[in-house]
Amino acid sequence: MERKRALKTTLMLSFILFFAIMMVRAIVGAYTLTPTSTAEDLKVLPLWKIPLVYIWDYAQHGWICLGFAFTVAGLVSEFIPQGFMMRYMSSGKPVSYLVATLIAPLLCVCSCTMVPIFAGLIYAGGGIGPALTFLLVAPANNILADIVTIQVLGWQIALADMVAAGISAVVIGYLVSKTPWGKKFERQFKNNQGQVASVELMKQPVDERLWNALKFGGYLAKRIIPAFLVGLVAVSYFQAFFPADLVKVYLTGASGVVLAALLGGPLYTPTLIEVALGKALVDLGMSPGATVAWLMGQPYDIPNSLSTSRIVGWKIVISYGVLAFAFAVSSGLIYSLLVGGI
Amino acid sequence: MSVCNIRIFEYCYKLGVSEMKYLKVEVIGVSPPCPRCKKTEENARKAASKLIQEGVKVEVTKLDITAKETISKYGVLMSPAIAINGVVKVMGKVLDVGVIERLLREAL
Repeated sequence: MERKRALKTTLMLSFILFFAIMMVRAIVGAYTLTPTSTAEDLKVLPLWKIPLVYIWDYAQHGWICLGFAFTVAGLVSEFIPQGFMMRYMSSGKPVSYLVATLIAPLLCVCSCTMVPIFAGLIYAGGGIGPALTFLLVAPANNILADIVTIQVLGWQIALADMVAAGISAVVIGYLVSKTPWGKKFERQFKNNQGQVASVELMKQPVDERLWNALKFGGYLAKRIIPAFLVGLVAVSYFQAFFPADLVKVYLTGASGVVLAALLGGPLYTPTLIEVALGKALVDLGMSPGATVAWLMGQPYDIPNSLSTSRIVGWKIVISYGVLAFAFAVSSGLIYSLLVGGI
Repeated sequence: MSVCNIRIFEYCYKLGVSEMKYLKVEVIGVSPPCPRCKKTEENARKAASKLIQEGVKVEVTKLDITAKETISKYGVLMSPAIAINGVVKVMGKVLDVGVIERLLREAL
């Protein structure tokens, strides 16, 4: 029994180590983990072959990055101190903003975990501000998307996106909590504050926790990869046939930033696809500033807004949507200025 | 109930432990259930049935994680969560049947 456990633990550790080493190798050797096909390569192929070639191209380079990202996402969400995090995030003090921005990205959550936490924060009297901060940061900045963004779009853009998304989420959360309708909404739950819930999380041995982590990583992969593949089919046609001239005219300059923020928002792109689509757009000539705005437009897509509006009402959703748009545009512009001219 | 368990039961009875312990297991998840919440409930029921076979009274119920009553009782949770006799023991992960079974036995 003991030997079987040791064997299982060794196997799991080697699996994790394998991806870590491959990833380090790729970074040190500066291998590209993203597709190298250009519009010219794709255009000459028969229609049915375009997605196959493109996906093969992704699979060849991207499997290390994806495998690493899913493994890390699983590990982090298993080993994060959950009780601590929930307690501080729902405390209703300024520190909860900090916890929401810094720790929420570590949780790789699908909407079926995110919405309950959001609703929970509100009903437990944690305040609408931290709850919104959490809601805005979690999808934009989660660790899975971050690893892939760094690999696909480069660390400069990924870092700009993370920092800008973090700052804007805190400011937006704070501003919305100070609006008259935000305050009115919050008052309903004031009395719930400070209740002590009975939570005594069980402690598990390390081998079981590793298993939990890998299982969760696998679960995420199973959920995300099929949608990612379908998305890549669309992206491949997009890359092959979308006129580069259009991108160069409309997705550069100040107006390009505004347009990218507008497009990146309401358009619902499952996790990771906005990165792939962003990469296709960059290859076609989208400016760096517009790319940042494009990535930041994510938290206010339509399905997400619908589910939150059921909890907080349309007024609050529209307020944070407008603010998030403004922040996406201004971050895009600031980034353009930083990297040298719009 | 196997013969062996009946013996244990009789033994307990003779010792004066006539009242068997009661476990209230609450699986807390979203509704409609997400795949992970469903799996957790399934595993909890399997684990519970093992204890039930041994004569322990176990009741498994499902709670909606976004319901106001759940939040006022347990606070902010990550789905899926499991509470045993009113104390949250697990959140944000799907445990195997064996682990839940151990958790239940520890609570006895």
